[in-house]
Amino acid sequence: MLRATWLVFQREIGQYFASPTAYLIAAALLLLTGLMFNSDLTFSLTVKPADPSLVPTFLSFAMVFFAPLLTMRLLAEETREGTMELLLTAPVADVAIVLGKFLGAWFYFSLLLAATFVYQIILVVITQPDLGHALSAYIGAWLYGGATLAVGLLFSSLTENQIVSAFLAMSVLLFLWLGDLAGEIVASVDLARVIREISLQGHYTTSFAVGLVRIEDVAYYAGIIVVMLFITVRIVESHRWR
Amino acid sequence: MIEVHNLTKRYGAHTAVDDISFEAHPGEIVGLLGPNGAGKTTTMRMLTGFMPPTSGTARIAGFDVLTDSLAARRQVGYLPERVPVYPDMTVAGYVSFWAKLRGVRNPRARVDAVLEQVQLTDRRHTLVRNLSKGLRQRLGLAQALVHDPPVIILDEPTIGIDPQQVIEVRDSVRALGQQHTVLFSTHILSEAEQICDRVLIINRGRIIAQGEPAALRHQLQPGQHLYIQIAGASRGEALRLLERIPGVDSVRADDDGYRLRARPDVDVRGEIAERVVKAGFRLLELRPVAMTLEDIFLDIVGRGS
Repeated sequence: MLRATWLVFQREIGQYFASPTAYLIAAALLLLTGLMFNSDLTFSLTVKPADPSLVPTFLSFAMVFFAPLLTMRLLAEETREGTMELLLTAPVADVAIVLGKFLGAWFYFSLLLAATFVYQIILVVITQPDLGHALSAYIGAWLYGGATLAVGLLFSSLTENQIVSAFLAMSVLLFLWLGDLAGEIVASVDLARVIREISLQGHYTTSFAVGLVRIEDVAYYAGIIVVMLFITVRIVESHRWR
Repeated sequence: MIEVHNLTKRYGAHTAVDDISFEAHPGEIVGLLGPNGAGKTTTMRMLTGFMPPTSGTARIAGFDVLTDSLAARRQVGYLPERVPVYPDMTVAGYVSFWAKLRGVRNPRARVDAVLEQVQLTDRRHTLVRNLSKGLRQRLGLAQALVHDPPVIILDEPTIGIDPQQVIEVRDSVRALGQQHTVLFSTHILSEAEQICDRVLIINRGRIIAQGEPAALRHQLQPGQHLYIQIAGASRGEALRLLERIPGVDSVRADDDGYRLRARPDVDVRGEIAERVVKAGFRLLELRPVAMTLEDIFLDIVGRGS
């Protein structure tokens, strides 16, 4: 089980770095975060202190769009190329395959996140940022990213068409993300609370992003990951019944 | 090595595989022969643990494919009809991935050995995407062999590659039969005849005949078949003349001559020659016809429908 997960994980990492997609996404995100960081820095000269959670917060938001691009290939391509048939007839558990894929994607995202530490280093050099605040934002963004990738992986298992997979995942992620806004406009306070509790933003903006690490938010993202992976394993299993 | 009992697969109302039973012994090459859509791939997919049977059982080396799936899968090397590849991996990397995933103890040595066996050693650093179709087929074979499984299942391994490569693949399948139990499917009869120790003819999900290719031919072809060409006689005259010969079961016109089936216990050839000449016609040709597996197959499949 562990061996198979590790092998699938290794192969995924190899795939990310063998294809231009991974580099393009990394370049795009670093460029965007760089621009944001730069303008925030300009502001912080006069208007307000630099925000240490700026970059991780932006990255977590960006994952609503980028996670589906990172995950659309994972299972859809295996199904399309027929390699899924070999994977499913190899002596390995289905959960090992799904887990390996997910961890591969999450690891790649973690590298991306780590690359943005450069902004924190710059801040440390030129000012005295609140490192605790930054750390909490990074933990939050890391979990947030994991949850979005798990959603993306689920949709990759549903279809052999990568575009369809990405589109569906993006729609659902946008919905989970906008839930935060929907919570603000419904009349019923209770309903608004519920909507906010299930939205991705609701567990980030008012906690991790302001320097709070709350167990309920960690549990929320971990829960999303577990549930999504569980459903994905079931869907992969169902390949056998079709 | 492979034991299949009353295996059935239904998709809703459609029955893809209908109550088939057969066995394959160690070192035997068994061919699944049938037209497209006969249920060959479905049968193989059930044996490899890719899909569960609707009913019936299948065992690979004693392990049930449903209840002992992981153990059964460990005993099988499988090459699906369309060779599944990771285009961005190298040849050696691809084979090594499958070796490790199937728990091969010494993957590096096995990968080297198997690449040598399928003659891909000089391509080991080539990206899979750059391989020709025939080379991909060999790569698929390497993947199926790398964990040295006792049972090898090949789904139409000679489809879509050029004739020279077909011969190579056939040779390697035959060579595999010395150490492994091989189950392979084809819709080409001569191929089954050349390679297999035993042939299962499958049509519409059912096994309609099975046996050694030679025995199968014998069993399905009672009596002797002769081809005769006669000059100077009208078709009607010739048919009437031949039908009256004692021992002849049936006669029919075939191309420019006649196909005649006679009882196996009498030799009618002398009588035919004599009567044709006596009737004032000329005998141009008289030869025995060996029925090919193709004829048998068409005969059976035709009867089946």
